Amino acid sequence: MIKIPASLLRQIYQHTEQSYPYECCGLLIGSTDQNQNHIVHAFRQCRNLNTERARDRYFMDPVDYLRVTREFENGPWDIIGVYHSHPDHPSRASQTDTDRAIEIMATAWSYVIVSVQNGTVAGAQSWVLNESERKFYEEPLVTVPEEGESK
Amino acid sequence: MSIITVKIPTPLRPLTAGQSEVKIEGATVGEVLQKMDSQFKGFGDRVLDDGKTVKRFINVFVNEDNIRDKKELDTELKNGDTISILPSIAGGKLATKRHKNFFVIFVPFCG
Repeated sequence: MIKIPASLLRQIYQHTEQSYPYECCGLLIGSTDQNQNHIVHAFRQCRNLNTERARDRYFMDPVDYLRVTREFENGPWDIIGVYHSHPDHPSRASQTDTDRAIEIMATAWSYVIVSVQNGTVAGAQSWVLNESERKFYEEPLVTVPEEGESK
Repeated sequence: MSIITVKIPTPLRPLTAGQSEVKIEGATVGEVLQKMDSQFKGFGDRVLDDGKTVKRFINVFVNEDNIRDKKELDTELKNGDTISILPSIAGGKLATKRHKNFFVIFVPFCG
């Protein structure tokens, strides 16, 4: 399960709508509880460097990723997942999403995908990679009322 | 010999017993990564191709510089440098290599 404060999820939605019709991406920052649930406390937008096919691909700027790791390296939070948008497409994890996640064995992360239809968010789902089966499984995405940090 | 801090990303921490950073000696990036492989079983397989180049979906930074913009694994290190290993995060809504095959069977109509 991943828990995201409603205010942060709204801001992530704004990022995906502002980026439409292109895919956007960012990092989810937070903690992991004793039941392995992810709790999001902040997020950071990152640039999509795939400018040639930004309508159906994203490639997160590694310099942005480095910047975020530096920002949070002294804790208490850590990078717990990734979000990206699917313009005019469902929020299911695609084969491309799966292949790229398998390459980096991102089994500890939540992958939140936001579907944006005609410029408006249609919904979001969160996915977790099962390494042995080499596929994503949906996990519950729960919005919680607490206010969180954003940027 | 220089003491280097190696920052480990979340996806690779199962290989380092959960450690987010490791201190290790080395004069070049290649030497440090080889020592990491010796110390942590499977580390090299996840980061290097045949021990000679960094996998295409891994980025290695020395401080703020990507080693692909420097001398790759031969990039020299000085005492106190930080190596950050970052997986490439990518994806997208459509599949790349897999295509659906469509077979059309034409049956002539004989009336």
